[in-house]
Amino acid sequence: MKHADDDMKATGLLQNALSSLTSAGNFWAELREELDERIESIPADLNEYGYDPWGFNPDVLKRWMLIPAFLYRYYFRCITTGTEHFPEGSFLLIGNHAGQVAFDGAMVSAATVLEADPPRLARAMGEYWLGTLPWFNVFMDRVGSAVGTRKTCADMLRHGECVLAFPEGVRGMNKTYADAYQLQEFGMGFMRLALESETPIVPFAVVGSEEQAPGIANLKGLGELLGMPAFPITLTFPWLGPLGIWPLPVRYHIEFGEPMYFEGDPNDDDERIREKVDQVKSTIQAMLRRGLAARKSIFF
Amino acid sequence: MRKLLITGISGGQGRLLAKRLAGQWDIIGVDRMPWEGAPRDIRVTTMDLRTKRFENVLRVERPDAVVHLAFVRHFRSDPQVRHEVNVDGTRHLLDHCAAYGIKQVIVLSSSYVYGAMADNPMYVDEDHSLNISRTFPDLRDLSEVEGLVSTFLWRYPEVATSVLRPVNTLGYYTHSAIGGYLKLDIVPTVSGFNPMMQFIHEEDVSEAIVLALEKTLRGVFNVVGPGAVPLKTALKAIGATRISIPEPIAHALIRQLFRFKLYQFPPEAIDFIKYPCTVSGKRFTEATDFEPLFSLADTFSSLAQ
Repeated sequence: MKHADDDMKATGLLQNALSSLTSAGNFWAELREELDERIESIPADLNEYGYDPWGFNPDVLKRWMLIPAFLYRYYFRCITTGTEHFPEGSFLLIGNHAGQVAFDGAMVSAATVLEADPPRLARAMGEYWLGTLPWFNVFMDRVGSAVGTRKTCADMLRHGECVLAFPEGVRGMNKTYADAYQLQEFGMGFMRLALESETPIVPFAVVGSEEQAPGIANLKGLGELLGMPAFPITLTFPWLGPLGIWPLPVRYHIEFGEPMYFEGDPNDDDERIREKVDQVKSTIQAMLRRGLAARKSIFF
Repeated sequence: MRKLLITGISGGQGRLLAKRLAGQWDIIGVDRMPWEGAPRDIRVTTMDLRTKRFENVLRVERPDAVVHLAFVRHFRSDPQVRHEVNVDGTRHLLDHCAAYGIKQVIVLSSSYVYGAMADNPMYVDEDHSLNISRTFPDLRDLSEVEGLVSTFLWRYPEVATSVLRPVNTLGYYTHSAIGGYLKLDIVPTVSGFNPMMQFIHEEDVSEAIVLALEKTLRGVFNVVGPGAVPLKTALKAIGATRISIPEPIAHALIRQLFRFKLYQFPPEAIDFIKYPCTVSGKRFTEATDFEPLFSLADTFSSLAQ
């Protein structure tokens, strides 16, 4: 018995030595292994063909999550805190949106898979027109997102899912750097949904995203002409062409706050709903202020 | 024994239902086509619902309940004929039911009435708008039939009227449009689209009709089977050979093929293989405790036979 153990130890050591020699080659394999394991333990209601009711398929997510997971670990080097606040069952993830391109969404999704225990799938609610985009519409469903209709979102929450939303929308994402970390107007749909489905809201703050592509101007008119929600001018875009949308290697700090519980009539007057929305907004704004004060460097 | 009239009894669902209820109900059936070899205790007469003869059947027989299955569901005939048979047939039937005091009417509609659209919510309930005529005018008979029935439902509260909207129905006997599509030698799909689709076995649809009959349901109900899978997953499970058509040419290509009768579905039907048209069966399940007997795999293999 003892012999066998020693043999195992010896082989283990040999394997370790070998793997550090070939660490570059193993690095993808390790990330993939970790992701596979985590994605398999995401609570999901899969049928005999491996799909959940909205078309989520963990095997597709395993393949595609590699890219955001790589960026999460080695590019933005995210430091995440507060995933222990995630309630069991359904909750709404509500946070700030910035950085011209939604890397913040991808990083928050990666954090819910890589850091939370058990791993959770953050289901993003997409714009209506995304459903008409070939391939992308399928991709969106398979990785767990959906066209963001109120009904689909409410069903997901009733079903115990975690839904990710940015109530600022493009107002937040495509603002200029002059407004960095100043929360823009919040939509109210998320609060009505939370009240209707009695779902807790987990606020989150992302620090770093504003510096990944600081906006100098937003040519809304030109964007409209091109059929885009915005046309940002940054240090690199449009000067470097499509490459210019690539973000700077800033460090991301993601903080998830304690869940907030609201009660009330989901069909209440706008002013009453607005009061509740403002509580969430000021909580996130305070988290941002704290995060910024604690940050020592933009890049390190 | 209570008496049941089944319209469209010679179709796949009509036969299944008649055989299932034979012995428990005194069954009479009418259809535009004969049913060769019908069981002896089932009386089948060949006629059109729009004739005086059909009115006589109701006047003389006075059935306790009517199950209305007499619809043209395929696209092989003239769209005008399809529209007349479906809409005028239903109107005549409902008029006679009112005149002769029929106590229960069940109409088999379809989940297609909601239409397939990119911004459709998933799993719509019965109150969702019936958008089929917006995107698929040839199928507007579906929503017109529903309009007639819901007017009837409100006008004659003493009649237990129910409308069932089952999802894509597959089976050995039922010749559904979706069944015809999935069984093509080469099945066209659209590149970059793969919507979630719900399926139900034909015998589960029969079961749903029987439940509606026994529980004297009143109202409109979606009827949902064992679940949903992406279209291409269903095709793989069935063992179909698939060909992807790029979106920009799909419409034009299918229009030409349909025109020359080389393909049996009009170009408007493409929306159903691009966008979701999924429904929630909660209301029906709560009213009847319905539970589909056939799994997705069973449902797919019923096509392979």
